[in-house]
Amino acid sequence: MQESLKKRFFNLPPNVCTGGWLYKKLSSLTTSIYVLGLMAVFFVIGTIFPQGESFSEYVKSGGGFTFFVENLGLLDLFVTPVFLILSAVLLINLAVCVYDRYAPLFAKRVFQRGFSPDKTIYLTHGIAGAHVEVRRVLKEDLGFKLIFKDSEWIIMEKGLPMRLLTWAYHAGLLLCFFGLVLTYLFAFEDTMTLSPGKLQPISMKEPGRVQSLWKSSHTDRSFGLSLDEFSAEYVQAPRLDYPKDKLSRLAMGLGWKGREVALELKDDSIAPKNWRSRVRVIKDGVFAEAHTIEINDPLRFEGYTFYQTGYEQKLKVRVDASPILLETKTGEEIFLPGIENPLKFGDLKTGALYRLDGSVDRLIPFTTVKQARDANGPKDKRSYDDLGRLEQDGSITVDGRRITLAGIEESAVLSVRRDPGVNLLWTGGFITLIAMALRFYGGFYTAAYRVMEADGITLLEVCLSTKGLWTNRESILRRLEYSLTRDDLKLTPLPDDAG
Amino acid sequence: MLNYETILSRDAFLLSVELRLFWIIALAYGLAFILYAFHIVTRAIPAGKAARSIMWAAAFLHVLLIIFRTFEGGRAPFQTLYESLSWFACMTALVYLFVSRDLKKVYLPGIFVSGVTMSVSLYALLSRTPAIDPLSPPLKSWWFEWHVIFAFFSYAVFVVGAAIEASHLIVKPFLKRGYDRCLGFTPGMMDKFHKKAHRLVAFGYPLLTFTIISGAAWANEAWGKYWSWDPKETWSLATWTVFTIYLHCMTLERFKGLPASVINLAGFAFMLMTFLGVNWLAKLLGIPSLHVYAV
Ligand code: HEM
Repeated sequence: MQESLKKRFFNLPPNVCTGGWLYKKLSSLTTSIYVLGLMAVFFVIGTIFPQGESFSEYVKSGGGFTFFVENLGLLDLFVTPVFLILSAVLLINLAVCVYDRYAPLFAKRVFQRGFSPDKTIYLTHGIAGAHVEVRRVLKEDLGFKLIFKDSEWIIMEKGLPMRLLTWAYHAGLLLCFFGLVLTYLFAFEDTMTLSPGKLQPISMKEPGRVQSLWKSSHTDRSFGLSLDEFSAEYVQAPRLDYPKDKLSRLAMGLGWKGREVALELKDDSIAPKNWRSRVRVIKDGVFAEAHTIEINDPLRFEGYTFYQTGYEQKLKVRVDASPILLETKTGEEIFLPGIENPLKFGDLKTGALYRLDGSVDRLIPFTTVKQARDANGPKDKRSYDDLGRLEQDGSITVDGRRITLAGIEESAVLSVRRDPGVNLLWTGGFITLIAMALRFYGGFYTAAYRVMEADGITLLEVCLSTKGLWTNRESILRRLEYSLTRDDLKLTPLPDDAG
Repeated sequence: MLNYETILSRDAFLLSVELRLFWIIALAYGLAFILYAFHIVTRAIPAGKAARSIMWAAAFLHVLLIIFRTFEGGRAPFQTLYESLSWFACMTALVYLFVSRDLKKVYLPGIFVSGVTMSVSLYALLSRTPAIDPLSPPLKSWWFEWHVIFAFFSYAVFVVGAAIEASHLIVKPFLKRGYDRCLGFTPGMMDKFHKKAHRLVAFGYPLLTFTIISGAAWANEAWGKYWSWDPKETWSLATWTVFTIYLHCMTLERFKGLPASVINLAGFAFMLMTFLGVNWLAKLLGIPSLHVYAV
């Protein structure tokens, strides 16, 4: 009861909603609760069905509920009309709330009477002196500011402007939402493969949803990228000899099994550390900018962003002494003349190797060679035999044929993206985070009090409400009482043996 | 310069010391769990006190373990699932111990918290690899590190919030039936506990918001796409949405009681799905799911 009275007293909205039924619904917090609830249901469904997968892939990998998946678009749930409409409702709800609560932030607040005090403090001052002293303590000792006053009640506040902060993070979220909409409508992306020394113009095959209404499938730009060098770095990664099964781990952990963990370093114990592409931007035929693109360091140029997503490796192999070089990509099967079953070359390792002892070496480029046990049946079901390691200019013999790794070529695979929504998204996100952190972790107090006289005794009734985690209501009340009564004569109990 | 042999045996030795210490901590959480259970069955206050003291000891050792792992790996220990689970268990214990300073004779939430810290530690020890492997290049990012630190910190806070909410819901019917005390709770404490759970969610919510924004910023730096609806991202958004609903409910008189409590517990269940069971529902329904990062 006291809580609701307090709420009425402090949070009475000064504006009275004048809009119609729809406006009222759209500015209502209850609507947002139901819409957010529905969104949560959609999100959960979206975690169950693999988003972005094609229906045929889904069926091939044994997925069930195919009728619903196909007809309700469950593999692309977040672009289905139902979800888009729901998002639009939330967006409008949020926009109306932000709009509706803007003016009241600056309007003169009206406070309604009627609250029960949290604390009553008896004062030794006369009524006039008590008024002055209480105001002085709240203002000077405790930092409160006067907000409202009538013949009986006085309201003072201190702390961060919580209502403004609550409004600000909702407005920040609204900006984020607009950013998402811009991305959804206008963003587009593509991948490009850069080979060393070749200038590659920027060409986007699929424009954004809106651009595709008037543009053909190509957006050619006046600039291009040229790859100076693609390089990789590796680091030695010792392998841990530690059991995988739970029982053995438990036995080791409880000391029943005297085995110790061990680390071992083999020839192939290396892991990628970084990939980078040194590129130059050529605009209208002249050099414009140079940048080394790394995985977490993209290149930004004229609204386009280029990301290092991977690499493509081509190998040139010679069979016996043939003058013809055969070209293959790593990770793909190749049939070589005179060899019955196809071969597969593993990732080429080339570049710098950071060793455990702190030294850095250049790797002699090498790949690993595998051979399929048979050439029939689907590729993804085949099993392979390891044939070993093949270094650049080195050879390996398979089915009596000498296979030499005669040349290598590495290209950088970049993804290029133009997204006019991100800046708005980050701005909104930043505002949201700052305002939210201040709102939740900061502190705000409202004190309503009256000083009165009853039966010749002056007393102070205070009601103190707080917002934010950085508040200590009891401490403020204690400090208030201490400051007002510190000079009073205190009644002390008589010593035990007095009587 | 050290030779390989020396480096490998030194690192293996450090890892085995670390594992021993982690096992001791996991068992201590287990012991606290048993003592909390004993307290609930027998109402014996010393059992509750002993459980809380053991939690303190385990949490202290756990802080040492995290410092140890930092030196061992030469980097912040928040990057593999094994590490983030350990950080999560440690933070959960610490947050609970901090909050329980003024819970006095109430030990019921401890059984949930010690249950979670024990299970999470055992899961890390039994199912994840403790290896200090080099990180794959996309994970090497300032954003990623802070993303993980805050994600698991917020989860820890939500666990304690849920433990307090659940405890107060469990004893409420008994107190309503006229008991003047149940497992240390008195009727006058109900509102305080409901508010405490609210304060905890209010503390964790901005952290979760930061987690989601930093995750998007990191994905944008690494892949050029800030959102791709993978199950992990989607679950975290669902969790955030549920806690948003909870916070909204707490501002409305008509929802701020039982409905808000139930939504808080739903938020906790969603949070568990986010970092442990992302693919579990899909598996349950026999649906092939996308690969997700195991961090
Ligand atoms: C993505 C959508 C939204 C998010 C993430 C969000 C977030 C939040 C949060 C975390 C709070 C709790 C603050 C507190 O405890 O004081 C809150 C409060 C509130 N929200 Fe939202 N909100 C959203 C949408 C909306 C919408 C659509 C409305 C419009 C009705 C709205 C109106 C309010 C109001 C009136 C409060 C109470 C403020 C107070 O009492 O201080 N919110 N919101």
